[in-house]
Amino acid sequence: MPEVIQQNLPFLLAGLAMTARLAAIGIVGGTLLGLVLAIVRHARIPLLNPLAVAYIEIVRGTPLLVVLFICFFALPSFFGYRTNAVDAAALGFVLFIAAYLAEDFRSGLRSVRPGLTQAGLATGLTPVQVFFLIVLPQAVRRAIPPVFSQYVRLFKFTSVASVIGVRELTGSALLVNAREFQPVAIIATVALTYLVICSAMSLVGRWLYARLAIRS
Amino acid sequence: MSYQLDWTQIWQNRGLIIEGLGTTIALSAVALVLALVVGMLIGTIGASRSRTGRIAAGLYVECMRNVPLLVHMYVWYMALAFLRLPPFTCAVLGLTLYSSAYVAEVVRAGLGSVPRGQAQAAAASGLRPAQVLFLVVYPQALRIIAPSLASLSSQLIKDSSLASVIAVADLTYQAGAIEGQTFRTFEVYITIAVLYLALVFIVSRGLMSLPGMREAPAVGRIADA
Amino acid sequence: MSAAPLIVLDHVCKQYGTNPVLRDCSLSVAAGEIVVVCGPSGSGKSTLIKCINGLEPYQSGSIRFEGQEVGARGTDLPRLRARIGMVFQSFELYPHMTAVQNVMLAQVHVLKRSRAEARERSLELLTRVGLRERAEAYPANLSGGQQQRVAIARALALDPVAMLFDEPTSALDPEMINEVLDVMVGLAQDGMTMVVVTHEMGFARRVASRVVFMDEGRIVEDRPSEQFFRAPETERARIFLSKIIAH
Repeated sequence: MPEVIQQNLPFLLAGLAMTARLAAIGIVGGTLLGLVLAIVRHARIPLLNPLAVAYIEIVRGTPLLVVLFICFFALPSFFGYRTNAVDAAALGFVLFIAAYLAEDFRSGLRSVRPGLTQAGLATGLTPVQVFFLIVLPQAVRRAIPPVFSQYVRLFKFTSVASVIGVRELTGSALLVNAREFQPVAIIATVALTYLVICSAMSLVGRWLYARLAIRS
Repeated sequence: MSYQLDWTQIWQNRGLIIEGLGTTIALSAVALVLALVVGMLIGTIGASRSRTGRIAAGLYVECMRNVPLLVHMYVWYMALAFLRLPPFTCAVLGLTLYSSAYVAEVVRAGLGSVPRGQAQAAAASGLRPAQVLFLVVYPQALRIIAPSLASLSSQLIKDSSLASVIAVADLTYQAGAIEGQTFRTFEVYITIAVLYLALVFIVSRGLMSLPGMREAPAVGRIADA
Repeated sequence: MSAAPLIVLDHVCKQYGTNPVLRDCSLSVAAGEIVVVCGPSGSGKSTLIKCINGLEPYQSGSIRFEGQEVGARGTDLPRLRARIGMVFQSFELYPHMTAVQNVMLAQVHVLKRSRAEARERSLELLTRVGLRERAEAYPANLSGGQQQRVAIARALALDPVAMLFDEPTSALDPEMINEVLDVMVGLAQDGMTMVVVTHEMGFARRVASRVVFMDEGRIVEDRPSEQFFRAPETERARIFLSKIIAH
C-alpha cells in the first residue's frame, strides 16, 4: 500500500464509511419512495398519479449533480430552511434514485400475469389483499435484477456528493490530495476501491438473481 | 416565504446560459460518437467466439463501469495531469470510456440475440466473416438495441454535467457562475434543470423517430446499471 | 461413371465436449446423385451435412469437396461455400431485406456481380420457384412455404454445384410442404447434386438415388433408394420406416 494512503488511512476509511452511510440511506429511502410511486402509478390513483408521473419524468431527466445542487442551494433558500451538505446529499439521493426505482418496480408490477390476480379474487380475497399478498411480492421478486443494479449505480453516485463538500470517499481523497499532492496514488486507490466494492455488489446481485430464478 | 422570485436576472445572463448549453451539447456529441464506436468494438469482441476476447471485453466493461464517472474525470484531470490535457479533453475521455462500457454491454447482448441461424445462413452462402457481420448481423442487432442506445444517449447528456467539476464551462458550470453573481439559486438551477430535460427529451424523441426504430423489445435494463 | 465423387466423407468423428455426435461416418456423393439422409432425431443428420460445408467443425476423419479437404487449415471456406448451396429448416431469410434483396446479397458481395445483373438473375430464380410477383415482399409478409422457396432461390443464386437441405419442410404447415417439395423435385430433375435431410419419404421415393439411414451418430444403412424402401437391412431402419410411413 502506498505510504500516503497508509498515513491517511483513518481519514479515508471515515470517508468510505460516509459513502456507505449515504448509499444505505439512499437505498432504503429510495426503495420506499420508489415503491409508493410505483403503486400510485400502477393503480392510477387519481390526483396523485399525474403528480407521480411529473415527478418521475422530471427527476429522470435531470442530472444528479443538478438535483444535489437544488437540494443543497435552491430548496433551502426558496423555502427558507437551513441544511448541511450531508443531509442535502441524502435527500438528493433518495429523491433521485426513487424516480428510477419507481419505473423498475412498475415494470415488475406490470409483469405479473393477470391470471394470478383473478385466481386470488376467485378465492374471495379483496382487491387490496390480492395486491399486497400476491401481486406485490411477485412484482418485487421480478424487479430485483434491475433494482439491484440501481443500488450499485447509487453507490457509484455517492461520489458526486463530494462536489457539495461531503466527506465521503472521493471527497476525503481530494482533501488528502490537497495536502499531500500525490494524485496518482490517491486517485488510483480510490478508483480501485470503487471497482472492488461495485464488482462485489454486482456479483452478489447475480447470485441473488440466480437463487431467485430457481425458486420462481 | 421570504424568497422573491426574480427571473429577470436569469434572462440578463442568458448569454452565459447559451454558451454553457453549447458546450454541453458539444461535449455530449463528441463523447457519444466516440463511446458508440469504442463500445461497438468492445461489444463485438465480447460476443465473439474467442474466449480471450470475451474475457478481455468483460474485464474492460467491469473496470470502466464500476469506477464512478467523477473519478474517471479526476483520473485524466488530476492523476494524469502531467499530460496537460485541457479540461474539455479530460471530460471527453472520462465520459467516453465510462459510457463505452454501457454501450459495449448493450451491443454484446444485442448481437447475442440475433438468431445464430442468420450468421450460419450468411456464411453458408459464401460471405466472409466481416461481410456476415456488417451485412446481416449488425443491421438486425441495431434494430433490437436501438431503444437501449437512445436511453444511453440521454444518460450521457445528463452525465456530462460532471464536467463542470473539472472546470469545463458547460451548462452546470455556468449555472454556478450565474448563481455566484446574482444569488438567484432557485431560478438558475430550475432553469438548467428544465434545459437538461428539454435536451434529453429532444434527443430521445429525435432518435426514436428515425426510420426503422419501431418499438423493439429493449434488451434488458442493463443500460441503467 | 468413373468421375471422382463430388463429396467424400471418410471416417468422420465429431463430439460436443464429451458427447459423441458423429461416429465414424463415411459417405460419398457423386455428381448428379440425390442422397436422402434420414433417421430418428438426435441421430446426427443435421450435424453431418453442416460439416460438409464447414459450418460445424469435426475432430477426426476427412471431408473432401471437389477434392478439397474441408477441415484443413488453409482451406478458403467462403469460396468453398459459394459452390455449395444450403437450405435451412428455419428458412433464415434476412428479415431486414426483401425477397429479391435476399437472393441478390451473396451475388453482389461474393461473386461481385453488378447490382443490375444480380437483380436480373434473382428475378429469374424467383420465377423458377414460382414467386416472381412477391419479389419486393419482406419475409414477415410471406408464408412459411413462400419463405422456404425464396431460401431455395437464394441458395441457387451462386450457381452451386451441389445443394444441402437441412430438414427443409419440417417447420412448415402440412399444406405448404408440397409447394417446396415440388421445387426440390424440379431441381433434382435438372440434374442438381443434392444431399437432403428429411422425413418426407414420399420425396425420397420419387427422386432419391440413395437413402442413408443414421442412428446415434452412425451411418447404419447406405443403399440405393429402391432397395432401402423395399427391404431395409437393419432392424432399426425397419422400425423407423414403419413409424414414419404409418402416419
